[in-house]
Amino acid sequence: MMFALVVVPVALLLIGFPIFMVLLAAVTVAIVFFMHVPLVVVHQNLFGSVNATPLLAVPFFIYAGELMGRGSVAQRLVDFVQAGVGSVRGSLGVTAVGTSAIFGAISGASAATVATIGKVMVPAMRRAGYPETFTAGLITAVGAIDVIIPPSIPMIVYGAAAEESVARLYAAGVVPGLMIAVMIAAYVVWRAKREKFGAAEPFDLSRFLHAAGRSIWALGAPVIILGGIYGGVFSPTEAAAVACVYAALVTAFVFRELGVRDIVEAAAATVMFTGQILIIVACAGVFAWLLTVNQVPAAVTAWLQSLHVSAWMLLLAINVLLLAVGCFLDPLSAILLLSPLLVPMVKAVGIDTVHFGIVVTVNLAIGLFHPPFGINIFVAQSVLGLKLETIYRGIIPFVFIYLIALALITYIPEISLIGVRTLLAKG
Amino acid sequence: MIDRALDRLARIIELVLALAFILAVVLNFTNVIGRYLFGLSLLGSDEVQVFIMVAMTFLGAVVVTRRNEHLRMDVLAKRAPEGVRLVLRIAEQVLLIVLAAFVLSQSYFYAGQMLRIGRTSDMAGVPMWIPHASVTLGFALMLLIACWRLASIVAGREPERAAPADGKVWE
Repeated sequence: MMFALVVVPVALLLIGFPIFMVLLAAVTVAIVFFMHVPLVVVHQNLFGSVNATPLLAVPFFIYAGELMGRGSVAQRLVDFVQAGVGSVRGSLGVTAVGTSAIFGAISGASAATVATIGKVMVPAMRRAGYPETFTAGLITAVGAIDVIIPPSIPMIVYGAAAEESVARLYAAGVVPGLMIAVMIAAYVVWRAKREKFGAAEPFDLSRFLHAAGRSIWALGAPVIILGGIYGGVFSPTEAAAVACVYAALVTAFVFRELGVRDIVEAAAATVMFTGQILIIVACAGVFAWLLTVNQVPAAVTAWLQSLHVSAWMLLLAINVLLLAVGCFLDPLSAILLLSPLLVPMVKAVGIDTVHFGIVVTVNLAIGLFHPPFGINIFVAQSVLGLKLETIYRGIIPFVFIYLIALALITYIPEISLIGVRTLLAKG
Repeated sequence: MIDRALDRLARIIELVLALAFILAVVLNFTNVIGRYLFGLSLLGSDEVQVFIMVAMTFLGAVVVTRRNEHLRMDVLAKRAPEGVRLVLRIAEQVLLIVLAAFVLSQSYFYAGQMLRIGRTSDMAGVPMWIPHASVTLGFALMLLIACWRLASIVAGREPERAAPADGKVWE
């Protein structure tokens, strides 16, 4: 069985086969040669993995991002943030971080943020003489903020798996997401000063006000989405659909940039991207089922429990486990696979499950861009035309920043729980 | 000629799914508006939306397969000698043929069962063989594409996959 679960997928990954085939091959070898189950379970799990209403938010948020990316919404947000932070050295890098954080409150899909913000920022950063490795690393890494700042699709799935309130999780994600954004921005400024790139320009109030005016409709999107969710008006999936309609109306009728053909083409692009991502989710679902029926997660959990560790040691061990799992599995499958096993363990040692949800999300967010298999790396490679080797070299410092943030979020629960208390106070 | 037919097929699938996806967005939005303005909601709307997403997954993967745009970790394979790369390309198509045929056989069996027992979805009453058949059709078309690509590679007609910068996903 180890041959099917470890040797086959690792070997096929290394020789460059498509990821969905890697997972499907492992499953097929295991079921045909090592297990005695009806073969039809493959179809049932492939279908069942994507026959899930929460997943609808994935193409919806991708479409919203695609519509905004095709119009000038992303550019207007970039101009707004750039007008505000232009007087700082490395301002384009800071703008990429700030815009990603705002976009994170619109799209909810990390890969879409990498693609949309990257399309605007990578050419601008190249023209301004930013080192290519730095640009590649920054753009690939900032998208992960998106799954931490609500709306966040992994948090929805964790909420379902751990029977925890999505609204509480969303409230808990705000401060950690902003904290990571600030940490990355600080690193950008430090690097820019040290290596003398990204010259500052004086602050211009009229330019700032002009940019603010031009971006007001774009800034309306996160207000509607988050206001709608926190106000109890929309479910997260509905908020994603509303974001699509809002983006279509604003870009077609307010900015007058997109026609019917563009709206259909944006949907066609969403189909393509959904096909790329969800076929992996479907196959990862079967792979996750394979691990579960072979009691691999249970064995790992039992091993962790057998060590009789304290809360902080358990969190450290879980962080290591999640970081490793996040390198191979997409966040949704990883959450679905591990949460039912890990949540009872953390509850037993007195860890708040909302806090733990944020720890899980940040871990798996790191997995989104962690070499060698982070999905955002392949998005940046594919959509932005960045070389894989360049991304790998550039991403390392950002991995360390996220790991420092992860340590802080793991061991200072207040960073997450302060948002929950604020929401409850308002509620 | 077959290449052009497959390209056209991929484009047709893409556009049909795009229109279906826009319908899903409209259905969802209409439900929100209907609920708050008129106190009404479209029964079964969620099911239809999810089935559209299932079709986007498996038929969208056909489009991705035809355009050779599946996500992969190919940093090592790209550095291999030309002969090794050729062997890997052939092996990939052979494996896809085997896997697609395996899933196709099971999926055809399952969708057929759904058709025979006449099962429908709980709210919208959609015959369940339809969403299940999107898996069947998806892997059938991927099988077809892989067979043609294998023949093309062996005959020396299929160029090596373009560099990612040339094969942008969204443009």
